[in-house]
Amino acid sequence: MFWKRQIPIAIVALVGTLTLFGWFVDQPDIKSFVDDDATQWYDILASFAIFLGALNLLKLQMQKIIKRKKGWQYSIFAIGGFIFAFTVGFLMRGAYTVNINSAGETPQVVAQVVAGEIGGTIQASEVLLGLIEEDAPLMLEKVHFTGKSVNKVANQLKESGADAKIIPASWGAHLTTNGSFFNWMFFKVFTPLSATMFALLAFLVASAAYRAFRIRNFEATLLLGSGIIIMLGRVPIGSKISSWFVLYVIVLLLGVIVNSWKRNRILTFSTVGIGIILVTIAGIYMGWPIDRPAFAYLPKLQDWIYLVPNIAGARAIMIGIGLGVFATSIRYILGIEKSYIGE
Amino acid sequence: MNDKKFWFTFGIILIAFIIYWLLGHPFFIVERVTMLYAILLAAAMLIFYINKAKRGEKIYLRAIPGLKAFEEAVGRATEMGKPVLYVPGIQDMDQVETVAGVIILGHVAKMTARYETALNVPVARSIVMKAGRESVREAYIVEGRPDLFHEDMVHYLTDDQFAYAAGVNGIMMREKPAAVFYQGKFYAESLILAETGNSIGAIQIAGTASPAQIPFFVTACDYTLIGEEFFAASAYLSEDPQLIGAVKGMDILKVMIIAIIALSIFLRVFNDLGWINFDILKYLTIQ
Repeated sequence: MFWKRQIPIAIVALVGTLTLFGWFVDQPDIKSFVDDDATQWYDILASFAIFLGALNLLKLQMQKIIKRKKGWQYSIFAIGGFIFAFTVGFLMRGAYTVNINSAGETPQVVAQVVAGEIGGTIQASEVLLGLIEEDAPLMLEKVHFTGKSVNKVANQLKESGADAKIIPASWGAHLTTNGSFFNWMFFKVFTPLSATMFALLAFLVASAAYRAFRIRNFEATLLLGSGIIIMLGRVPIGSKISSWFVLYVIVLLLGVIVNSWKRNRILTFSTVGIGIILVTIAGIYMGWPIDRPAFAYLPKLQDWIYLVPNIAGARAIMIGIGLGVFATSIRYILGIEKSYIGE
Repeated sequence: MNDKKFWFTFGIILIAFIIYWLLGHPFFIVERVTMLYAILLAAAMLIFYINKAKRGEKIYLRAIPGLKAFEEAVGRATEMGKPVLYVPGIQDMDQVETVAGVIILGHVAKMTARYETALNVPVARSIVMKAGRESVREAYIVEGRPDLFHEDMVHYLTDDQFAYAAGVNGIMMREKPAAVFYQGKFYAESLILAETGNSIGAIQIAGTASPAQIPFFVTACDYTLIGEEFFAASAYLSEDPQLIGAVKGMDILKVMIIAIIALSIFLRVFNDLGWINFDILKYLTIQ
């Protein structure tokens, strides 16, 4: 019990206090512990833990296939993908290049081979010929996935009289080398798949916006109104809409509100009539400028909505979040919250 | 810690700090002293209300519909004979939101154990998997149903954001859970998950402190715990007086912050007008 209860609580309290109060202290050892060591310890632990995750994934997918559970076919892809990525990342270098140290006595022949290798033309081979003749090692940019493929090119070069050497990418660097097998897998398979998932957002945002903007109550209507103003105010056409047009729309909306509130035709008609007359008089008096009055000009209005009510709400949420994080941390440091040890 | 102990400890810390200060406060970053006062005050406030709650004083907490709906959602899944899906976010245990998510998972697991409902928890980090398992295991033991617990309830999918989203979506489409909980730290995958959950007709309860994801969850989920509600969820669900006291302390802190903001506005205006020679921003800005 001591090892499973008191010790974890003491570690959490100690490290938590050190991290919290370390921010106020300008002492190199404490600073390096808080900023680097503690996070590195965590990273090391997490790196080992990944094996647990990977084994769990494999186990569950295998079980699915063996027991022919619903959708077991997908598990074949999951396991296949895992094995493929593991092999390419850990067991294969997947990145070999050829260095030509000297072109020997027949540089023209070597240049022909090189041109074939890089898929160039005779013109390109002439340029290469110049490089080779300078007697400096030339690294061919093309990266080969397998040793067999690179051997073939190296042999061709050797047969043409060149002094060629195969340079394999070093372990670790093979993951980031441009054109390596892992690199190819990452950018040609993994990235497009991730991008596909991400692209789904465009459609999902549309369906979510439809639901959010449906007029159900006052708040939803407010959201719809703000949404329309923000969207129109941020596109070029928004700046072409005169603020007077917006004012007339506001007058009409006012009429709708008065009508649904009082249910009186004369009052509604008077409100709309007086509103239109007032706006028209103001327009004639001011000379109908497109961006005046500013509160009805969509680009300005959207700016205000975005910078005032929106930021105010976001900050209120942020203060709440900050307090929540602080309270949770204090509960941990003081040992009040012990759910991480199962209490 | 009772009141006597609290004041005693508080006094010792205060005296130690005064002595340290008088000795020339070596290594201390003086510009950050306001922040230290704020932290000490806030911590003292939390401890004070925790003690108050421990003494048995009645503490009122406003009802949060999202938290009341937890039991309802699990109950619905039970009635429909479908599983409950719990998504604890895509970040690791070094994020306090994930920690909060795992704590809430324990409470949800208690409900599923009580109602004998299947629980599925796909995770995106191995450490979260281990922590989640412990949490669920304890919940099932506490509810007296260790026989219903099996380790694979909490299982690992992948570390990658969109691959994880694809995996969880696949689970949703195949298993059609009746209740889906999203409690943790989320990024762009939030809407992908929540819209898929919506399309299968599941009751969805989200909780996050990621401000950018809150609108998506509000739109697509039935209930959303926003910001501090999410962190207070553990207290509400456990009904533990200590945790409820901490929530009350948090609310009082919020009132204090509002008062400080209002006071600071006046002080700043007076300073700008030249009526006083005191710039409050110098103290409130984090150095």
